[in-house]
Amino acid sequence: MFLKVENLTKSYQTGEVSTQVLKGVRMILDKQEIGVILGPSGSGKSTLLNIIGGIDRCDSGLVAVEGIEVTELSDNKLTDYRRDKIGFIFQFYNLIPHLTVGENIEVASNISKFPLQIDKVLDAVGMKDKKHRFPKELSGGEQQRVSIARAVVKNPKLLLCDEPTGALDFTTSRDILKLLQTINKDFGTTILMITHNTAISAMANRVFRVRNGEIVESLINRTIVPAEGIEW
Amino acid sequence: MVINKKIKRTMLESKSQYFGSLALIVISCLLFTLFNLLSNNLANLTSTFEKNYVQEDATFKTNKKLNNITDLETKFEMKIEEGSSFDYAASNTKVLRVFNENTKINIPAIIKGEALTNHAILIDPAYAKANDLKIGDNLKIYDLNFKLSGFMSLPNYIYPLKTEGDILTDPNNFGIAVINKTDFSAINEGNSFYSIKFDGDKNALESKFSGFKEYLKSENVTILNWMDATSNPRITYVTMKLSGINQVSSSMPVAILVLTCILTGVVMWRMLKRESAIIGTLYALGYKKVQIQNHYLRYPLVIALIGGLFGTLLGAFTLRPMINVMVAYFNMPVDFVSYNIKYIVISILLPVIFLIAAGYFVVSKALKSSPLELMRGGKAINKVGFLEKNLKLDKLKFSTKFKIREQLRSIPRSAFLLLGVILATMLLLLGFAAKSSLDSLTKGGFEEAFKYNYIYVFNAIQKGSPSKGEPFSELPFTLTSDNKSSIAVYGVSPNSQYVTFKDKSGRKISSDKIIITRPLADKLRAKPQDTMKVISKLDSKEYSIIIDSIAESYVGNYIYLPLSKFNSMLNFPSGSYMGIWSTERLDIPENKLLTTVTKEDIKNAFKAMTAPIQTTVGTMALMSFLIGLIVIYVVTSMIIEENKENISLMKVLGYRKKEIYSMILNSSIFLIVLGYILGVPLLLVSLSGMFKSLTKEMSISLPITISYSYLVIGFVIIYITFEVSKALSKKKINRISMHEVLKSRLE
Repeated sequence: MFLKVENLTKSYQTGEVSTQVLKGVRMILDKQEIGVILGPSGSGKSTLLNIIGGIDRCDSGLVAVEGIEVTELSDNKLTDYRRDKIGFIFQFYNLIPHLTVGENIEVASNISKFPLQIDKVLDAVGMKDKKHRFPKELSGGEQQRVSIARAVVKNPKLLLCDEPTGALDFTTSRDILKLLQTINKDFGTTILMITHNTAISAMANRVFRVRNGEIVESLINRTIVPAEGIEW
Repeated sequence: MVINKKIKRTMLESKSQYFGSLALIVISCLLFTLFNLLSNNLANLTSTFEKNYVQEDATFKTNKKLNNITDLETKFEMKIEEGSSFDYAASNTKVLRVFNENTKINIPAIIKGEALTNHAILIDPAYAKANDLKIGDNLKIYDLNFKLSGFMSLPNYIYPLKTEGDILTDPNNFGIAVINKTDFSAINEGNSFYSIKFDGDKNALESKFSGFKEYLKSENVTILNWMDATSNPRITYVTMKLSGINQVSSSMPVAILVLTCILTGVVMWRMLKRESAIIGTLYALGYKKVQIQNHYLRYPLVIALIGGLFGTLLGAFTLRPMINVMVAYFNMPVDFVSYNIKYIVISILLPVIFLIAAGYFVVSKALKSSPLELMRGGKAINKVGFLEKNLKLDKLKFSTKFKIREQLRSIPRSAFLLLGVILATMLLLLGFAAKSSLDSLTKGGFEEAFKYNYIYVFNAIQKGSPSKGEPFSELPFTLTSDNKSSIAVYGVSPNSQYVTFKDKSGRKISSDKIIITRPLADKLRAKPQDTMKVISKLDSKEYSIIIDSIAESYVGNYIYLPLSKFNSMLNFPSGSYMGIWSTERLDIPENKLLTTVTKEDIKNAFKAMTAPIQTTVGTMALMSFLIGLIVIYVVTSMIIEENKENISLMKVLGYRKKEIYSMILNSSIFLIVLGYILGVPLLLVSLSGMFKSLTKEMSISLPITISYSYLVIGFVIIYITFEVSKALSKKKINRISMHEVLKSRLE
């Protein structure tokens, strides 16, 4: 078992009001699998992803990645965990505007112990010829490819994607999903992806449906659909 | 307008940037008000003092007493008063120059205490303070006991220099005092001199002087020594200082205001970019461009008004203590302090005009976009800057690339930082350069050139060979081309043991040549073999002198001739001389001497000279530290704010705190180093220009230089400023949450 989440709870305090966002979440994901978390806005899926990625803390429960109990790590160890094990892909790409494509990828490879070759990764995401361009010179889809390359270059064990196609049109979205599937196969990276597009769940090994801070449905897909076959 | 309510809130949100602008305006208005009011007050004090206490037009010594003073006064429409003074050695190093009390010219002005009575003495306040003397204390002068009845100023000793060749006063070791004529006669010491003051305007003084000198000559009176008020450094240094203050008051505040304008422009631009959706919405709601413009111009207006008022008030409050500091150097009575409304109004309005202009430029540019463009976050700029695009950084380390790109991201911000560091460097090194230059002047001007320890000047021409020491002669001259200048012509023994000069290339110049000093050569733009025309101040005759060499000696407008040539040129008896240079103390009766100066006096004067510079160095260092800190801190805050999402992203990616500090906070280090490197030559050039204009009327040529050790110290101070600002900024970085990147919609 690559990822194990048990009895995870999290609440936020807003003034006098306390809102419980996660209420005893349980989930597992095996190595090299793709997991998709589905759910409406405010269901707690982003909070879950943030805790798994080590950028937020839970109130109680357990998150273990490759046997490491993430919930028990100190701040410094948590930084090392993010550095060595995790790759993030965001809905709005979050590229550094004044760095070129190549340099944006270097932001991640720079701190990695065993980074992949930048040119190889750029080739994999189809952006090798745009290495010296700046983000503002790229389309949304191209920026997301760079963002994927930045996440992959660290050669992470777990790739966390927060609505990676949320800001893209259908064709571009499908290209991005195809790319993620290729990365999963070629680099053996485990992927956990948030989306509220149910069609995407067809490409996942496991699907988790979240509502009101709870996993209300957990499915294992027997047949994985290639990304190019997904329609919505 | 209700939207004006957000001004205060917005400013408090980005405190460091607005308070940075505010602090710079406060400093600039403080300096503007303080220096202009100070200069205005000093000018008033000087002219009132000169007028009320009848400052002399000239002073001179003669070979015999003038008996017909009343006739002379009527004939030449002037006042003449005979004065006397002697130097009393209060200890081995301390000298008190005691004058008898004048009643017509150079009347002592009592600053504190009571008028003179028998056995009472008035002294200058700086000497009293330095030597811990209080009113009512007893002082012994020779065998007479005196009671210190008060402190006074003399109009001919506003800047109480011991000798005319000194540059700075030394109140520890030299002071002036006045006693009444009865007590002075009882002591029976000293030499007489005359002070004159012509009636009417000062325009035709030169011709009046010439007529008077001619008359004395016709009466067989030889003038042994003559000093015009315009050549007397004890009087003219105040004018020089005023001109220095005027230069500071006109240049420094403007430089800081320009810096503030850039800062305010950058801050405004960033705010308008951030608020572009709000502006677009206001447009869409029906607000007019002029209303929006008015709202955004209130930001620089508020900053300029608060800063201007506060800085001006601070400047006005510090005026009195500053005048007190000045009168510790320039001994003048302070009857009243005037607060000229003109400077106060200008000081308040200047930042308003500067900042509103900068703000208007930025706001107008931002409001050119359409409401829709503004609501979408401003005009999308998809063009990459030329520099950003064409800079090839592939071979550099990632962190270096990141830092360079960070600086290229906002050129105005980088320009502000660069200018700020240059200004801070110049301020910081100003004091150091002054000290280095004076050190070099001491070494080149005195220690290497003059080997004597004692100078004895006789009150009559001597003949024959002295038993000890080396004979010399000295007479005051002026230039034909500039009759206000004062030069001294020396007759020197061939192969002098006591005066040795070097030329520019460091070669020793033989004393059988005609040598002029560097300040005189610079003043005349003279080179070897040029002919200079000079007029003797004693007989007003013109002489031509061909220059053989120029000596690299930096103090004094001096001409050195072989003694035989000096005597033949001036029709003095062959082999005659006026003084002796000696390495050891000589036993010469006091009544045969006009003056005695020891090298110790000169050394003390130089030691004292560097003492106030230490204070200047300290003050300048503190001020540059403050300006540097404000500029670097504000820029660092801007960088952090601009990189909020990037910092958050770095945290998410697993960057450690130290790595983030290094990438973000160290990104300005190039500009800090560049600013420092550019600041050094800029300072040397501007200091050299400033000093040349200040010493135009003086006999000094200061070789502007700065020692390597001071350059290192200066850099260390600037670097510490940078480190302090980094330390202050670390908290800001730590406060940025990793969620910031999740909320953002970058690019």
